[in-house]
Amino acid sequence: MKQLRFSSFRQRLNAAFLAVSLVPVLLCSALLLQIFRLRMTADQQQNAEQQLDGACHALFSMQEGLQEAAITIGGSETVLGALSGGWENSASVYSALYDATEDVRRFARFELYDAEGTLMYATQTVHGAQTLPVSWGILKEAADRDTIVYSASIDPTDLDAPVLRGAVRLTRDGQTAGFLVAAFYETQLRAMFDSLAGAQNEILLMDGFWRGVYCSQQAQVQTLSYALRGQLLHGKALTGLSDNFVYTARQDEATGLFLVLQQPQVFTRGTLRLLYTVSALCALGGVAVSIALSLRLSRQMFQPIGTLHRAITQVGKNDLEVQVPVQEGQCDELGELAQQFNGMVLSLRRNQQALLENQQALNDAQIRMMQAQLNPHFLCNTLDTMKWISKINQVPQVALMSTNLADILRFCISPDEFVELRQELAILGRYVEIQRIRLSDSFTFAQDVPEGLLSCLVPKMMLQPLAENAILHGLSGVQDGRLTVTARESDGVLEICVLDNGCGFPAEMLGPYQAPEQQTGHLGLFNVDTILRKHYGESFGLRLGNRKDGAGACITARLPMRRRDADAAGAGC
Amino acid sequence: MGKWRILAVVLLLFLLTGCAGTAPEPDYAPEDEERLVLYTSHKKEVWWPIVKEFETRTGVWVEVVEGGTNELLERLDKEQDAPQADVMFGGGVESLESYRDLFAPYTCAEADAILPQYRAQDDIWTPFSSLPVVFVYNPKLVRAGEITTWRDLLDPTWKGKIAFADPSVSGSSYTALVTMLCAVEGEADDILRAFAENLDGKQLESSGAVLSYVAGGQAVVGVTLEETASRRIAAGDELAMVYPADGTSCVPDGCAILNGAPHADNARAFVDFTVSRDVQQLIQEQFCRRSVRSDLEPAGELPSFGRIAQVDYDVSLASESRESVLMSWAFYQETEETP
Repeated sequence: MKQLRFSSFRQRLNAAFLAVSLVPVLLCSALLLQIFRLRMTADQQQNAEQQLDGACHALFSMQEGLQEAAITIGGSETVLGALSGGWENSASVYSALYDATEDVRRFARFELYDAEGTLMYATQTVHGAQTLPVSWGILKEAADRDTIVYSASIDPTDLDAPVLRGAVRLTRDGQTAGFLVAAFYETQLRAMFDSLAGAQNEILLMDGFWRGVYCSQQAQVQTLSYALRGQLLHGKALTGLSDNFVYTARQDEATGLFLVLQQPQVFTRGTLRLLYTVSALCALGGVAVSIALSLRLSRQMFQPIGTLHRAITQVGKNDLEVQVPVQEGQCDELGELAQQFNGMVLSLRRNQQALLENQQALNDAQIRMMQAQLNPHFLCNTLDTMKWISKINQVPQVALMSTNLADILRFCISPDEFVELRQELAILGRYVEIQRIRLSDSFTFAQDVPEGLLSCLVPKMMLQPLAENAILHGLSGVQDGRLTVTARESDGVLEICVLDNGCGFPAEMLGPYQAPEQQTGHLGLFNVDTILRKHYGESFGLRLGNRKDGAGACITARLPMRRRDADAAGAGC
Repeated sequence: MGKWRILAVVLLLFLLTGCAGTAPEPDYAPEDEERLVLYTSHKKEVWWPIVKEFETRTGVWVEVVEGGTNELLERLDKEQDAPQADVMFGGGVESLESYRDLFAPYTCAEADAILPQYRAQDDIWTPFSSLPVVFVYNPKLVRAGEITTWRDLLDPTWKGKIAFADPSVSGSSYTALVTMLCAVEGEADDILRAFAENLDGKQLESSGAVLSYVAGGQAVVGVTLEETASRRIAAGDELAMVYPADGTSCVPDGCAILNGAPHADNARAFVDFTVSRDVQQLIQEQFCRRSVRSDLEPAGELPSFGRIAQVDYDVSLASESRESVLMSWAFYQETEETP
């Protein structure tokens, strides 16, 4: 059973097609063949029975005639007297003989033998032996049995001798007076049986021990009877003798003789082979049609399924661009399935898009939150007040610091998200001034930015955290510190570097900026990096490095080159 | 499993319809006790009337297998463990004697009517007909009385003119050779050599050729069996037959029942039938054979049994010394051919 299980549905479909086409054809042809054969055999058998009935009837009427003749002659004193040796007028004996055998004389020659087996009278001239032994052969049998006995000729091919003899004892006062013998010749038997068998059939007459007597095909009488006797004695079916003939045997009850009818085999090997061949060809045709149909149908069915299968695999790999082609006018189940799949992929794509947009909005809100960490207007006004008070009280450093701080704050609260690098650098300068006052001019600040890059747009307040990091960490404790800002453009990417001559970064921090695992107050670099990445994509952001031309750190901000809109840029020029 | 059940039902239907196709034939075959299997080396003209009459009288169906004596005996030897045949009918009793292990002794019903000389000591076989060895001569070439004894055959007058079949091929020729050794006084080797010389290298391939040679004048005298000679004479050949005056042998052919014969009762009935008066009379009258019964006088011109001079022929001895005699014979043939 396991071998019959097909792993693929397609194979199962093909096998089912094959079975459905093959089984009925084979079953049908086998049944038809069988029925046809049975029918033909039955017909043939019926035919044989009829012909054998006819032959038996002929034998029966012959036997009847013989019996009547025997009774008539047995009752004729003339004949019995003549046979017993009394002198009689032979003419009256002949007359009695002819009268008694009138009805059956066409079958045989009739002979009268005396008790010693000497031929006395015959209806026709007898050539050859004029005596028959009484202690041997047919006369002995006739004397023993007291009925009509039949005996086949020793050589049935010898046409000059009777092929069959029938004999009956004639008695007078309980003593054997003589014998009436009917001698059947081949020609007479032929006349009796010839019309009984069909044109293609042969009739074979044999004695009680299946020795051949007569055959409608005279040359076969001995060979055929010998072969049939062999079949009989070896317990084989008579028909097994030959492939070409069917044999039906019948014992004639009246005479005890056997009749065999030979009919040509309806189902010869050739015919059977032809029928089998036709059946096989039909089955082959069925197989061919079923294979063609199943291939075609399965292709129609499994091509769309295969396409769908591949598409689903693509979706599994997160490719939502895939679409299954739907043929025009294909409105079957598979077409619907494909359309539904396409719709599903489409809505999936939309969902993902919406999710992305939501995330973007969230990010924007967070940025805005960060920018609004101070309440700027109040601080600005306070600082302005501080500036004027310090000017009145002539404390110029406080005035400068508060002016710078106020500018920075104003810059911070301006609505623009992106500003030109020029502005950014100016505000950075204010910040550095404040820090220099705070740290007693322990470092110097320089900037080296090409004129062409000053109009590039950068996120507002991007540089301040970088400078703050360099001043507070890089230059802490350094005599004669130097802070430098440079910018350059490469392949559409703007790289702004904040350099110091401090202690530099430890080796584990080098490379693209990595967010610290815990947010502990030092949010400057983290915020800048986040802003850059959220605005421009993951390929941008901060890169930490150490200077190659000496001690000190170098923080590089990478962002795409952008300027104001085209008209604004034109106005700038 | 339901599928398989349906399939089985369909197959069963097929089988049933297939079986119904052959209506049972009436069985005319005889029962086993009505059968007899006969191996015979007789010609059909001999066995056929006997078998036919036996069938008619007993109702037993006889299956006849024909063949040469040695061929059939060898076949019987091979079938020893599972005998197919019931009776071996025909063949000289010397041949039967040499295969005596195959046969079961049986004393036939009318054993007393058989001449004692023909009977086997232990009735291992039953004689069928007596076959005296005789000379035939061409009366145109030989006058009556010129050749009457075995010694005459050694007379150089007839050198190269004697028809004699090769005794290693023909059983009857071997019997004749042994008869000669019994009849002629002297050392067997001398007689064999003298006879071989007188044949002058001429040995015929079969016993049948002897008569054709003599009738055709290619030989003037021949050695053969009475039965063969009288049949040819009866058929009209111009031949004369003479019984050797210094004695001849009357070795019969016979029949024997096989050890373990499947139809032993019928076999015994058949053996009884072969020596019955009816059959013995038939073979005398129809086949020019000499009966083995004491109560039947030969038919026609054949002399009665008492008038034939006989040598003391020992069947078992002849059977036993067959090889040595044939060896010597072959040896003298060789020396004759290469002078």
